[in-house]
Amino acid sequence: MSVVIEATQQVVPAAEPRWRWRAFLKHRLGLVGAAMLLFALVLAIAAPLVAPYDPEARVDVTLEDIFQKPSGEHLLGTDDRGKDVLSSLIYGTRVSLIVGFTAAAIAILIGAIVGIVAGYQRGWVGSILMRITDFFLVIPDLALMIVLVAIAGPSLGTIILVIGLLGWTGTARLVRAQTLSVRERKYVLRAKAIGAGDAHVLRRHILPAVLPLMLANLVLVVSIAILEESSLAFLGLGDPTVISWGQMLNFAFERGAISAGAWWALLAPGFAIVWVVLGTTLLGTALEDAVNPRLKRHHLEAPGSDVAPDRTSVPLTVAERDAPPILQVRNLSIEFATDRGPVRAVDGVSFDLRRGETLGLVGESGCGKTTTVLGIMRLLPPGGKIVSGSVWFDGEDLVGMDGPTLRSFRWTRLSLVFQGAMNALNPVRTVGDQISEAIRLHAPQTTKAQAAQRSAELLERVGIPRRRASEYPHTYSGGMRQRAMIALALACDPDVIVADEPTTALDVMVQAQILELLGGIARDFGMGIILVTHDLGVVAQVCDRVVVMYGGVVAEENEVTTLFREPQHPYTQQLLLSFPDLAHPDRPLRGIPGTPPRLDAMPAGCRFEPRCPHAFDRCQVERPPEYPAAGGRASCFLLDPAEPRT
Amino acid sequence: MTDALLTVDSLVKEFPGRRSFADWLARRPAMPVRAVDGISFEVRPGEVMALVGESGCGKTTTGNLLMGLMPPTRGRVVLNGEDVGRLSGRGLLRLRRRVQMVFQDPYESLNPRMRVGDIVAEPLRVHKVVAGAELKARVVAALTSAGLTPVEAYLRRYPFELSGGQRQRVVIAAGLALEPTLLIADEPVSMLDVSIRADILNLLSALARDKGIGVVMITHDLSTVAAYADRIAVMYLGRIVEHGPTREVLDNPKHPYAQALLSVVPVPDPSLRRRPVILGGEAPDPSRIPTGCRFHPRCPLAFDRCPTVDPPLMAVNPSHQAACLLLEEHGQPA
Repeated sequence: MSVVIEATQQVVPAAEPRWRWRAFLKHRLGLVGAAMLLFALVLAIAAPLVAPYDPEARVDVTLEDIFQKPSGEHLLGTDDRGKDVLSSLIYGTRVSLIVGFTAAAIAILIGAIVGIVAGYQRGWVGSILMRITDFFLVIPDLALMIVLVAIAGPSLGTIILVIGLLGWTGTARLVRAQTLSVRERKYVLRAKAIGAGDAHVLRRHILPAVLPLMLANLVLVVSIAILEESSLAFLGLGDPTVISWGQMLNFAFERGAISAGAWWALLAPGFAIVWVVLGTTLLGTALEDAVNPRLKRHHLEAPGSDVAPDRTSVPLTVAERDAPPILQVRNLSIEFATDRGPVRAVDGVSFDLRRGETLGLVGESGCGKTTTVLGIMRLLPPGGKIVSGSVWFDGEDLVGMDGPTLRSFRWTRLSLVFQGAMNALNPVRTVGDQISEAIRLHAPQTTKAQAAQRSAELLERVGIPRRRASEYPHTYSGGMRQRAMIALALACDPDVIVADEPTTALDVMVQAQILELLGGIARDFGMGIILVTHDLGVVAQVCDRVVVMYGGVVAEENEVTTLFREPQHPYTQQLLLSFPDLAHPDRPLRGIPGTPPRLDAMPAGCRFEPRCPHAFDRCQVERPPEYPAAGGRASCFLLDPAEPRT
Repeated sequence: MTDALLTVDSLVKEFPGRRSFADWLARRPAMPVRAVDGISFEVRPGEVMALVGESGCGKTTTGNLLMGLMPPTRGRVVLNGEDVGRLSGRGLLRLRRRVQMVFQDPYESLNPRMRVGDIVAEPLRVHKVVAGAELKARVVAALTSAGLTPVEAYLRRYPFELSGGQRQRVVIAAGLALEPTLLIADEPVSMLDVSIRADILNLLSALARDKGIGVVMITHDLSTVAAYADRIAVMYLGRIVEHGPTREVLDNPKHPYAQALLSVVPVPDPSLRRRPVILGGEAPDPSRIPTGCRFHPRCPLAFDRCPTVDPPLMAVNPSHQAACLLLEEHGQPA
């Protein structure tokens, strides 16, 4: 599914409740619950046909008829009045289901109205409604029900009404929370900007978002209602004119089933209650899971390693080993599991990073640049797997490493500043503390004072006054937090820093500050930096070398000046033409027609072929290898020396 | 000028400030936060005007004021001769038909449960302008103007089936359905892929040129508007500090803030690694506006009078103004 793949990229469409039949159908327990409930429903409807006896029929009872053991004649024995337990049980299904569904419908209706109004009208109306909800939530339901039923008299209608009137609070809270989140959505704001009134917004935007959640909730409320009806009946507050399971339990209990040893009279209704409640609960939970993605464990989350067992590692040649760059990525391929099988997000990516060098990894969203660096760090999201290749770091293959070795490697030698990292600081601990902790975690012999001293120095290095080390993250501005994250990344003096879109979402002025800082660090500490970005301007200003990615492969790599002056790959050329340049504001900008390929629908030939102005027949059928070009390399058939067109 | 489509005159918007517990104890009143502090400009039909500044400069509040989403504290927004701030009820509804907004986030601003056709038709249904076959025709026309052709391929699709660029086109189409005279675009491309941005910007400027729609583009990114805006207004802490034709402002910025802002825009040319003027200090905070020139604490060129004198916009030439005391020797108060 394309949505799943996009989720690993920058733009994550917000999850919304929506029916997901596939997700539901995969929920085996939910299907079992549905089957259990369906069985009860069929029994209830077909009761007169299925039940061997009519429990309402008047029969003369002899003493032998009472509490008869289960036999061929009475499969579940007889009760205290000599009636067939099985038949009563089957007819009892009707009452339980009627009470359950009607009471739940009442509860859901009230809950939905209260929830929507309280969520949408946040003024005093909303406050009062929520206080009322809170009040009903804390009073003991059963006790109040007993009182109300006792006063109003135990008829089926009263029982339904009482259960319904007291059971709406959970729904109200659920619906209110959902309404609140939807009314803050941009599309609701947009509708209001168009001039839409409340009625329109409620009908077209709020209700459709709340409805699936309500229906899933309905099933759970049904199970509660059935339980409550049984409890009331068991306590002798059931409608005496109908047969219900609680009633059966009550009669059996009061009229000596225990002393008579008639376990069947107790066990059978008990089992029936458990059956229906279990069924509805399983179904309800499954529906809620399917509707509410937040409750669900990531369905692609496969237990096990993020490295495929049959991965082919790529050894370095002797020449490569002798004067090694600090990081050598070799033929790295990464796949994500999806509903329709694996898709390849990164396909055979190779590049080097030297000490003191800043390497730009550029491309549009979905090109695999973030996945590549997450793979290098072995921090792939659930469902992601390295299927082939090696990441040689100072002579050791990170991909082959086990957990503990890897953990000692991370941060001390290879650390990460990620996108939106400013939100990754722990809000309840001071910034200095958090840096000290990182230092002491990897160098346990460091004393607290030494660590504090070092973290103050680091903060100073990134342009934050020492005294602010003892302050909490919320007193920092966005730019300062990002700088604090860089200090954190520097804490253990790593050889390589991976910075994934470190300035996205920051103002241009703050961006300039952060970029200057990163440039200074590369110079002063001799670290290698991989800068992942979509901004060609940033690349041109700070990088030494550039790797351009497209559709999960390296489209082009070159030294920065050459890349901008003589781009070899048509994608790089087009990208440069579409990028605004303040130095030449009159140059008309041209977008690249079409859209980047989806991972699950990659072109068979060159991945850029559908958007390429120079594509020819060969591009459609064959994947271009990398050719040396202008001192770098590019994967395009136009650069094939054997190609007559070139 | 009388032919202006939109006239903004000395617009001020204050928000009630937060009152801390200490303030309450000391019986200090809450200080209002002045997000927009007396800005004036005009937009003519078919003109693209860019409001540029960092977060906290008041550009988004200005956009909301232009939309009539909130009333101004002082000053006027006049659209087609009607004062937006005074409108209510039916008048405001009528205004909504003439001003439309393009939001920043095309992923969030479309209802995931509605089809493209319904999204574009929604404004027409809300305002009950047209119905039936005519409504269909308007939807098709709007989608065509937004470049979503063939229209039939898009009408019945859901937003999640579209790419970011296509979604932003749907937002624009929904804005065009009512045939507005003014489009307000708040960071219309900042969430989009680089290769698609140019197309959306080209579309907006084509709409201005061909349909005579006035466009106010709100952005923090000077480079994206450079090729598209006719005029640029640079905002800092609720004020316009420099205002003029795009080329004038880019080639000959007069305000030190505009100069700094220009210098930090990364240029995609490694041979032009400039020395950016990186301003110290943090992003400006509208709840604490400095005395005198509001830019003086961060200004590399500030001198003795800056902390005390609040400079007005002064003319650099008849079409170009900047608010800096350094101009006094050369220019006259505008």
